[in-house]
Amino acid sequence: MPEIFIDGHRYEFEGDHKVLQFIQDLGKEVPFFCYHPSMTAPANCRQCMVKAGQYMKDRETGDYEVDENGDRVIRWFPKLQTSCNLMAADGMVILTQETDELVKRAQKDNLELILINHPLDCPICDQAGECPLQIQTYKYGPEGSRFEVKKVHKPKRIQLGPRVVLDAERCINCTRCTRFTQEISKTHQLTITSRGDKNYPTTAPGREFDDPYSLNTVDICPVGALTSADFRFKARVWEMNQTPSIDITNGKGTNIDLWTRDNLILRVTPRYNADVNDHWMPDAGREAYKIFNENRISRPQQKLDGEQVLSSWNNAIATFTEQIEETDNSKIVVIASPHASVEENYALSKYTNLLGLNQPVFTPHIEEGTRDDFLLSDDVAPNANGCRLLGFTELDKASIKKEIKKAELVVILNDNLIDREVIAADDLKEKFVVVFATNNSDTSKTADLVIPITTAAEHAASYVNVDGRIQRTYRAKETKYTDRRLDLEMSEGRLDRYGTNFDNWVTEDNKVDCLPVWAFINSLAESSGLELNFSDGREIMDEIASTVDSFSGVSYAAMDEQSGIQLSIKKETSTSK
Amino acid sequence: MAYEFTKEDLQEIEKIKAKYPEVMPATLPALWVAQRRFGHVEPEVQRLVAQTLGLPEAHVHGVANFYTQYYKEKKGKYVLDVCTCLSCQLCGGYDILHHLEDKLGIKAGETTKDGTFTLNQVECLGACGYAPMLQVTNDKYVNHLTKEKADELVEKLKNGEELEYEQIKMPQHKNI
Repeated sequence: MPEIFIDGHRYEFEGDHKVLQFIQDLGKEVPFFCYHPSMTAPANCRQCMVKAGQYMKDRETGDYEVDENGDRVIRWFPKLQTSCNLMAADGMVILTQETDELVKRAQKDNLELILINHPLDCPICDQAGECPLQIQTYKYGPEGSRFEVKKVHKPKRIQLGPRVVLDAERCINCTRCTRFTQEISKTHQLTITSRGDKNYPTTAPGREFDDPYSLNTVDICPVGALTSADFRFKARVWEMNQTPSIDITNGKGTNIDLWTRDNLILRVTPRYNADVNDHWMPDAGREAYKIFNENRISRPQQKLDGEQVLSSWNNAIATFTEQIEETDNSKIVVIASPHASVEENYALSKYTNLLGLNQPVFTPHIEEGTRDDFLLSDDVAPNANGCRLLGFTELDKASIKKEIKKAELVVILNDNLIDREVIAADDLKEKFVVVFATNNSDTSKTADLVIPITTAAEHAASYVNVDGRIQRTYRAKETKYTDRRLDLEMSEGRLDRYGTNFDNWVTEDNKVDCLPVWAFINSLAESSGLELNFSDGREIMDEIASTVDSFSGVSYAAMDEQSGIQLSIKKETSTSK
Repeated sequence: MAYEFTKEDLQEIEKIKAKYPEVMPATLPALWVAQRRFGHVEPEVQRLVAQTLGLPEAHVHGVANFYTQYYKEKKGKYVLDVCTCLSCQLCGGYDILHHLEDKLGIKAGETTKDGTFTLNQVECLGACGYAPMLQVTNDKYVNHLTKEKADELVEKLKNGEELEYEQIKMPQHKNI
C-alpha cells in the first residue's frame, strides 16, 4: 500500500488524496483559507504551505536509497508547496508547521501579507469568534504588523443581493464565494472585480445576487466580508449555542444547526451530511428560525362564546376527554400530519387506537414548482414519508374534505390545513375542532380547542425525508417545562453555563408554555382511564422500532452515529418528491 | 442606449470562438471587437458580449475590469496615456503631462468637452529607452517627447491624420 510520511509519522493511504485533506482527516491541522472540500482548489490564499519531498528510490531495484548513516535520502521539492492541491504520492515526505521552522515562517509571513489591507475591526465584525482568519492569525500569525502606511480602502456595506451584504475591505480574495456560484449553485453570479490590492467579489453591474443558495457564501466566507443581511449585528457567536437539527420547511431534510441565545433561535446554518445536503442549504430554510420564535401559541386556548380565550392545561384535558366520550367513534376524524414528527404521529395514533377510533389520515403538503435539482423538493413537509411508513391513510384534498364532512369532532395534528388551502374555514363549521399547533394560523384560529405543542427546536424527534432517510432533531430551546441545566441532552453555550439572571440575554421571557404531543397525550389517556406512558422521543422511537416493521433497527443512537438511517420506502412514494 | 454588433462583428466573433476548444478564452478578443466597435466596454457592452458568447455576465465583467486597456467608461476619440513611471519621470514625463493638461485644458484622467482627447497618467509602458513617451489609444507609441512634439501630435490627431509607427534603432557602437 502507498505510504506517506507526515511530520515523521508513517501513514498508509489508498486512492487519490490531496495532502491538506489527508492531514485534516488525520485530525491534524494545516491553516488554510481558500480550500473547501466540496470545491476546486485554486491555491490562491497560499496559507497551507508545507515542505514536501520524496524518498529517493533506486530505479532498478526499487529500494529506497540510503545515505552513509543508513537514513533514507529525501529529495525535497525546490520550494514550499501548497498542500491543498498537492496530490499525495507513494513515499512522499511532508513537514508541516509543527516540525519545520521554514514552513512556520512562511505561514506567518503569508498571514502578515494577508492582513496588510485587512481592517482589524474584529470587535464590530460579525465573523469574530468563528473567523478562520482570526483563529489562524492567533495561532500562526505574526505578533504585529510592519505595515506603517495607509490601508487600501474599498467599498463597504454593499447590498449584493436581498440576503447578502458585502464589506469589500475585509475580503481576502479567497474566491470561495465566486467558486460556489460557479461550481455548486451554478448561477455564475459572482466574480472578482479589479485587480491587485483593489480587488473584491461582486456581481455583474446592475445585477442582484439573488441566487436561491446565496447565504451559503456567507457560511464559507473565511472572513467577515460576506454577511447575512438578516443576521447582521444580531448576536456575537460566543453568546449563542449551537444545536444540530433538521430543516422542517422542506421534505429534503437538510441537516442544519440552530443557533440559540436566550431561548430564541437567531439563525440557521447548514450542517454537513454527505448523504443529504453536503455542506449546503437553501436560503428558504434559513427563514425558518422565525417559526420557532414568533407567533407562537403559549398555553392552551379554548373558544368561549365564539372567541378564543386562554385556558389551562387541566381544562384542555377535561374538554378534550369530554368531547371524545360524547362523540360517537365513527364521527371522529383524526388528521395526522406530515409536518409533525414520526414520534408525535405515532403517539397520537396509539392513543386513537386504544380508543378504538379509525386509523389517522393525512394529506401530503405538495407545492408544485418549489423543486429544483439541488436541495429543494416539491414536498414541503418534512415527514410525509414518516406518515406513510406508520401506515396512515393518505388522502387527497377532496377525500379529506369528505372525511371532515362526515365528522363531528375533528382533531388536527400540527397541520395548517386552512392556510395551505386543503380545506376552507367553512368546512369546519358546526364541528368541534381540536388543533395541536405550534404557531398561530388561520387553522388554529378556527379551532375550539388549541393545544400548544413543541416545535422541532423544542423536542427531540425524527423526520423521514423525501428519499426515505430518517433523521432527528435535538432540543435546542427550552419550554416552560424544560431546563437546559437539568436536561443533559441539551447543549449549553457559554452564557447558558456561566450566565446569571443579571446578565444580558438570560431571561425567562422566551420560554413557550407548550408540551410535546406525547406528554399531553399521556395526560389525556390518564383522564380516559387508559394507560400510556410516553417519556421522550428516544423511548417512543425504540417502541416504534419494535412494533412497526418499516422502522426496525432505528434508534436515536444509530441515527446519531450514522447521521440518519436510510429506510426502504415504496417506489411510488419516492417519485412524489 | 442599446448596443448591437454588426454582422461583420458577429462573424469575427464566430471566427474567434472557432479558434478555441471552449468559449471562455474568446472573452478577451471578443471584448476587443466590442471596444473597437463602440470605443469602450461599458456595463451595457459587457452584457452584450456576454450574451453574444453565451457566458455569464459576471465573468465578462470580471475580465473587463481586470485589464486597464479595456475602457469601462466612455473615453475621447484619442486616449493619450502619458507615462510618468521612473525613466519617463526622470526625463520629464511630468512636464509633458502638465503641458498636455494645459494645452487641452483638462486634468489627467479627464476627457475634453468635444470628446476628442482623454488624457491619462499611466505607469511603465515598457519603453524606458525612449523616455519620455506616451501611447495613443492602446496602440502607437510616441517616443522621445518634447513639448513641440506633443503639440505636433495633438494637431495631427485633431486633423485626423494617421499616425505612423516610429522606428527607433538601438544605439550602435562604432569602432567594433
